[in-house]
Amino acid sequence: MTRREMLAAMLASAAGPTAWAKVASARGQGNRRPRIAAVTTIFFKYSHTQHIVDRFLLGYGWNSTWHHPPIDLVGLYVDEVEKNDLSRERAKEFPTMKIYPTIAETLTLGGSKLAVDGVLLIGEHGNYPRNKIGQKLFPRYQFFEQIVKVFKSSGRVVPVYNDKHLSWNWDWARKMYDTSRQMGFPFMAGSSLPVTWRTPSFEMPSQGQVREAVCVAYGGVDSYDFHALETLQCMVERRKGGERGVKWLQAYRGEDFWKAYQEGVWSKDLMKSALCRSHTLTPARPTFNDIFPTDDEMRRLVKDPVAYHYEHLDGVRCTMLLMNGLVQDFNFAARIDGRPGIFSTQMYLPMPPARTTLANFFSPLVHHMEKMILTGRTSYPVERTLLTTGLTAAGMESLYRKARYETPHLNIRYHSTKESTFWRT
Amino acid sequence: MPRRIAVIATVYRYLSHAQHIGDRFLVGYPIAGEWHHPDVKVVSLYVDQKPENDLSAQRAKEFGFTVYPTIAEALRCGGDKLAVDAVLTVAEHGDYPRNKKGQILYPRYEFFKQVVDVFEKDGRVVPVYNDKNLSYDFKKAKWMVEAGHRMKFPMLAGSSLPVTWRLPDIELPLGCEIEEALMVGVGGSDAMDYHALEAMQCMIERRKGGETGVKSVQLITGDAVWKAGREGRWSRDLLEAALSRSDTPLGLTLKDGRTQDLLANGTLQKLVKDPWAYFIEHNDGLHTTLLMLNGAIKDFNFAARVKGIPQIQSNQFLLTPEPNVTYSACLVSKIEEMFATGKAPYPVERTLMVSGILDSCLTSKYEGQKRLETPYLQVRYQAPKKSQRAHE
Repeated sequence: MTRREMLAAMLASAAGPTAWAKVASARGQGNRRPRIAAVTTIFFKYSHTQHIVDRFLLGYGWNSTWHHPPIDLVGLYVDEVEKNDLSRERAKEFPTMKIYPTIAETLTLGGSKLAVDGVLLIGEHGNYPRNKIGQKLFPRYQFFEQIVKVFKSSGRVVPVYNDKHLSWNWDWARKMYDTSRQMGFPFMAGSSLPVTWRTPSFEMPSQGQVREAVCVAYGGVDSYDFHALETLQCMVERRKGGERGVKWLQAYRGEDFWKAYQEGVWSKDLMKSALCRSHTLTPARPTFNDIFPTDDEMRRLVKDPVAYHYEHLDGVRCTMLLMNGLVQDFNFAARIDGRPGIFSTQMYLPMPPARTTLANFFSPLVHHMEKMILTGRTSYPVERTLLTTGLTAAGMESLYRKARYETPHLNIRYHSTKESTFWRT
Repeated sequence: MPRRIAVIATVYRYLSHAQHIGDRFLVGYPIAGEWHHPDVKVVSLYVDQKPENDLSAQRAKEFGFTVYPTIAEALRCGGDKLAVDAVLTVAEHGDYPRNKKGQILYPRYEFFKQVVDVFEKDGRVVPVYNDKNLSYDFKKAKWMVEAGHRMKFPMLAGSSLPVTWRLPDIELPLGCEIEEALMVGVGGSDAMDYHALEAMQCMIERRKGGETGVKSVQLITGDAVWKAGREGRWSRDLLEAALSRSDTPLGLTLKDGRTQDLLANGTLQKLVKDPWAYFIEHNDGLHTTLLMLNGAIKDFNFAARVKGIPQIQSNQFLLTPEPNVTYSACLVSKIEEMFATGKAPYPVERTLMVSGILDSCLTSKYEGQKRLETPYLQVRYQAPKKSQRAHE
């Protein structure tokens, strides 16, 4: 057995951060600042890559100061370089960050072995084809595989952050998760919705018995539906017994949506409460700036409504509602046993360019990436994003098939962190 | 029986304060995760100006109230006695001249005086809400508050910034010792500096001993503002803290989306062509500063150093977007509370204090930006025990 094989075997048998910690201490970091690489699809103004990479290069406002992450972003891979590209400009401005033509070279910094202490995988935006059910084929799995290949050939692993959901393809997403567990590297993923400000700044009571939850959001399917699903999941995962997975999902669109709404498939009260947390309710009547719409007005405003209604294995029902034309924010509402009334909040996104100039909801997200790179511990379980990845794909499948989609593969069990991880300071 | 209210406005057009505040009493508003319909009936309206886009007649028709030609008639609903249970005065927006100090001469004192005349003649008083500052003139503002005390009617006034959401959701501990405070605002004078000053006041009034009034003020502009900073007259650390809460840096962020440390490499000085600094020296020794930094950012942010708390306390006052401007729903819930209980949730002296600070700062600027002693700003009050920020 070679040293590399021994290490691989050790990694495969050990679980999670413990194995990583052993490796990290064995390699001896000394006092050197950690170095990381970003593996991205595309880099333009207001792309996820720009929001994240710039925070490492330039810092960001945090806790009453200008915070410079104690980490150097030294390698960058950009899959698509278009006219609006900013990566070349940034590399020139920040010579410590070098652009490499392949993922392997980015992680080895042009050498033969893994030369960074963390990897950011940002596979959002870019010109990738869609499949027949409408999923955009972002190469997150392919990028991940190449990252893992370098880990294997170097006999060393480092923490990986995967932006948004894992892969559009469930089997690949599952493989990404399983690989991270087998090789024992810290793996974190997901949306900024779970970690951004909330108005009000409410946390879901830990160990509460949630009966039903709703998220009213906006945006497209296979895109913002994921953010809304993460909004729901980061709240309901705190319920008594933790998460046990999802049994089935039924999507509704257009007339089917309104029929389901009228039939009470999801709670009208929860939907109304979520809408009452919005800061962007389209006024249904001219000359009024903030007026609650009637059902008829809602139908007139929302041309293409989408709902994903799904049941968890413990019976909890959740509904994700995309109501373009009515709102432009993410609002959550739930009914919890023993708690009078409805529990609701907005996951507040300071969203450019209309409302702000900075997408500062990336600041808490980058903060959690930093923490993972520095400590080797993830702030929240990647199982959350594994589940929402599966739900996003199930939503697309159900929309395509126009039928309920059984999800026995989503029997994903995990417990939320005790401490809150959303932005409060 | 719903409470009957009269609305007294300068102008009732789309997105004027009168429209977005007044309408909430007609169609309800979102609060605490519900669409709340106040137990209130608007029975009369007075509007001083009716521009082409005036909505008063349309609203009166739809919601069954009458637009009266005078304030007295609005309060008496055309009869001979006060016929309402509360008065909502919103004298913001509309076409009014400015004086030599740059103040817009909104007729808030004049409206209020007419309201008080009716109270006096008819021998009955009801609660009065006055939107924003009391009067551009501190003497008139003081008369308004004294009339309220003399005649014993509940009064509430001011901006929505003290009652909107805060990012993060902080409140300074009641009775804390504030060492220094700084506010950053944007927009024109004397509309937006007022909001910024009141946002700062709602934070600092919670200090030990409460508010005891203001000894002196000074408003300086231009390069003198940066010079004052270099000389330590305002705190760079507090400015850094306040700016760390901003979501709206301009300049290079507009070009390529980047985050920017505005205090590095003279960026702030490049972006802000005409900075204004308002220095306020309180009677208890506290020094506070408002920096109006047009060109650098577009939001309102506060920072303070509090004894015993190692980290600087800072937050953004979240001004939620148009057209909903849901921050005014937060304000309306306070107005409704006073109408219902007869008790103002926070003292009108806050607004009197800030009206006086702004009036005096503008005098300072007019008189060559010199330091102005303000022995007349003897406004004393205690902050409400309960935090009034939006947090539920």
